[in-house]
Amino acid sequence: MATTTLTPQAAAYRRSWILEWLTTVDHKKIGIMYIANSFFFFFLAGILALVMRSELAVPGLQFLDDRTYNEAFTMHGTIMIFLFVVPVLAGFANYIVPLQLGAPDMAFPRINALSFWLLPVGGLMIMSGYLFGGAAAEGWTGYTPLSSAYSPGPGTDLWLIGLILVGTASILGSVNFIATIFKMRAPGMTLFRMPIFVWTVLVTMTLILLATPVLTAGLIALFIDRNYGGSFFEPSAGGNPILWQHIFWFFGHPEVYIVILPAMGVVSEVLPVFSRKPLFGYRAFVFATVGIGLLSFSVWAHHMFTTGVVFLPFFSFMTALIAVPTGVKMFNWIATLFRGSISLTTPMLFALGFISMFLIGGISGVMLAEPPIDFHLQDTYFVVAHLHYVFFGGSVMGVFAALYYWFPKMFGRRLNETLGKTHFWLMLIGFNLAFFPMHMLGIQGMPRRVADYSPDAGWTLLNIISTVGAFTIAISILPLMLNVVATFINGERVGDDPWEGNTLEWATSSPPPPYNFDTLPPIRSERPVFDLRHKHDREQLAPALTAESEASS
Amino acid sequence: MRRLAARPRLRTIIRTAGPLLVMLLLGGCLFPPTPETTQAKDVFTLYVVVFIMGAVVFFGVEGAIVYSIIRYRRRDDRLPDQLHGHTLVEILWTAIPTVIVMFLFVWSTLTLTTIDAKSDPAVTVEVTGFQWQWTFHYLDGDNDPKNDYSVTGTPANPPVMGLPIGEPIRLILKSSDVIHSFFVPHFLVKRDVIPFPNGINPNELEFTISDPGTYGGQCAEFCGELHSKMTFTIQAMAPADYQKWLADVKAGKTPPPSGTPPPGAAVINLTAQNVAFDTSNIQVPAGKPFVIHFDNKDAIAHNVGIYQGGKEVFTGQIVTGPTTVDYQVPALPAGSYTFQCDVHPSQMTGTLVAK
Repeated sequence: MATTTLTPQAAAYRRSWILEWLTTVDHKKIGIMYIANSFFFFFLAGILALVMRSELAVPGLQFLDDRTYNEAFTMHGTIMIFLFVVPVLAGFANYIVPLQLGAPDMAFPRINALSFWLLPVGGLMIMSGYLFGGAAAEGWTGYTPLSSAYSPGPGTDLWLIGLILVGTASILGSVNFIATIFKMRAPGMTLFRMPIFVWTVLVTMTLILLATPVLTAGLIALFIDRNYGGSFFEPSAGGNPILWQHIFWFFGHPEVYIVILPAMGVVSEVLPVFSRKPLFGYRAFVFATVGIGLLSFSVWAHHMFTTGVVFLPFFSFMTALIAVPTGVKMFNWIATLFRGSISLTTPMLFALGFISMFLIGGISGVMLAEPPIDFHLQDTYFVVAHLHYVFFGGSVMGVFAALYYWFPKMFGRRLNETLGKTHFWLMLIGFNLAFFPMHMLGIQGMPRRVADYSPDAGWTLLNIISTVGAFTIAISILPLMLNVVATFINGERVGDDPWEGNTLEWATSSPPPPYNFDTLPPIRSERPVFDLRHKHDREQLAPALTAESEASS
Repeated sequence: MRRLAARPRLRTIIRTAGPLLVMLLLGGCLFPPTPETTQAKDVFTLYVVVFIMGAVVFFGVEGAIVYSIIRYRRRDDRLPDQLHGHTLVEILWTAIPTVIVMFLFVWSTLTLTTIDAKSDPAVTVEVTGFQWQWTFHYLDGDNDPKNDYSVTGTPANPPVMGLPIGEPIRLILKSSDVIHSFFVPHFLVKRDVIPFPNGINPNELEFTISDPGTYGGQCAEFCGELHSKMTFTIQAMAPADYQKWLADVKAGKTPPPSGTPPPGAAVINLTAQNVAFDTSNIQVPAGKPFVIHFDNKDAIAHNVGIYQGGKEVFTGQIVTGPTTVDYQVPALPAGSYTFQCDVHPSQMTGTLVAK
């Protein structure tokens, strides 16, 4: 049997538990720290969301003043995007990608540690404005000139510096991932035998590498405008505030795919395993992923239809076009389920939640791609609903699918299924209660980012429903927290491959040793572990094929 | 030309199907407000088309997902057929969405051309957005701004824009500080109000209102602290009523009192510059009328309002600088008051003592 044997290295020396975690360059420990750090920020930003929903439940200002409300949604958006969704998926990628490639670690373990440690520093800096007279309050998009001449105070400067640090972390990470994926694959693993999750991470990291430096440059330019008399975006000095929007969205739209593609990768790992079928149309899926990545750089100005200064037909056309590869993926997922053998485990439920909720975000996205409709819906709650169906119904569902799916690999214990399913159903119901009414609010004309609205507007009932939904989501986190704690204390030990996985991370122990693999199975397809498990039952593998060969003989 | 001939028929179908769907789906909450301009009616039609296609896709795909989950639940350990793909099916489901989105693109681009068409406007209003309200300045075409009607709102007292129905209206959208957005839900349109550098023309928005009525609007681009208070109202009326309305508001507009203050009255000088008053303490004689000589050096709107315990005592007219105005303030009983600019109450405030 063709196996590749790696020589295990002895642990060099023993360190205290704390020192070990603070100084580790092991991709698995760093991955876990990424995930833990991201959930810390998820809770902070989630509390801000509850604060906002409480304020908006009924007309009038009950809990906050305008300024505090504006800080809350600015911090909520910034933290959720830059310190939760992106890093938590990077954390899973950190843990899983080297394992799925059959590699002992990332290509640059120390850079890996650096890109992690920049995150909590940058994140705390972004929020530290609260200690210095008020956090940034210009929205996560930080439109100029509101964010320059009209927002004095250190909050916005801290926000800028923090984002520059977080962006730098992303860029370093992306270089590391690309090098790892191209140079560290196990013998036999060609590009088209890579697990689909690795493919989505590869495209994501390429997007980060191309898009994030643009944002970082823009942030630095804005910092110069604010502090050193620059006039990049300052209209009174001849600068153009629209330039900021171009820079921001040239990054910001690829960012949407940076956030959604790895989650799509997770779903494309989970659906085949729990349907006991290969992913339908693996190659088409890869091309669709690459296609989305390419197109994502040509649609940025659809965030700027109402500025009156962009060429609408081009950006409308490209935006409509991006629905095609996305649709292909949707059909591939459904075809994977079709005629499968489906088990509704918790990770599977979250993956199915992803495809059914992301669908709604996709449809509302096509509606927004038509400029005349966008003229009505832009900057209303419809957009808030749309982006939450993509980020929450999509990415965050994917994050939880990944958590329940890979938790046994990381800790050797499976999260409790009953608590997990309670979490899923509460979250699904709360999510739809919170965000579906926002479509209607937006269509009726409620602008986003308002601290208050008129009692005569007729928006009160929908806002109350939305607030109830937001608190239902918060309650759904309780079974998750209980589940994690209970599993660490007394979780079910489930061995190395509890789900009958397809990819190489299931070919090593749970948790894997520091060097990842003692031996690797031969890699002859994108499902080496599946091939290994079923090498003796060829007739089960391909009954049709066997029947054909018997008939012909 | 054939397209034009075919459209009314399609519209009839949509008009019949539209209300049915409205009744079916959540009391119409998923449809925009009644469109009140000719442009908005086109957008509404497009919206209904896109919405119906979206609904078909939604029910089709969710149906397929739910069907697969129920029909193909795991019943035994037998491995299902390991199907890796099917080229023909994959080509089909790439082609069909392509055709659908191209169809939507063409329709929306045609609608865009219609609603963006320029015409010779009957009324042109220069709309200036500022933190945090609007100024509506009616341009009557005689190049003499003195005769023009202009109204500036405050967060507590938003402005009204009277407009005639059935005639093309043009709004010229200017900002004196940050980016705002002029949004009227019943017109199904918004356009950003951007402080462009010199050399770039301001955005314009054209529409023709079809029905008389009162339509609320507000700023849609986040613009800072009191963004949610940037509301306004559009009062649409028959052209004859509009002319009467315009004459009335022009006549009712008290010109800024100037020239001779009443003999013996104290004159207090107050200057506004860079969104700040030059003083935060004013002393006036109690029990006697006095004059505030207000010099607004900013190119944006300011005024002086006097309050005691949160109650309004005096509100001066809002003026956009650079200009000066003399406010005739009635006699105040002895005591301590606050004064502020009603447009910028958080930045421009101070104490006024009468004794």
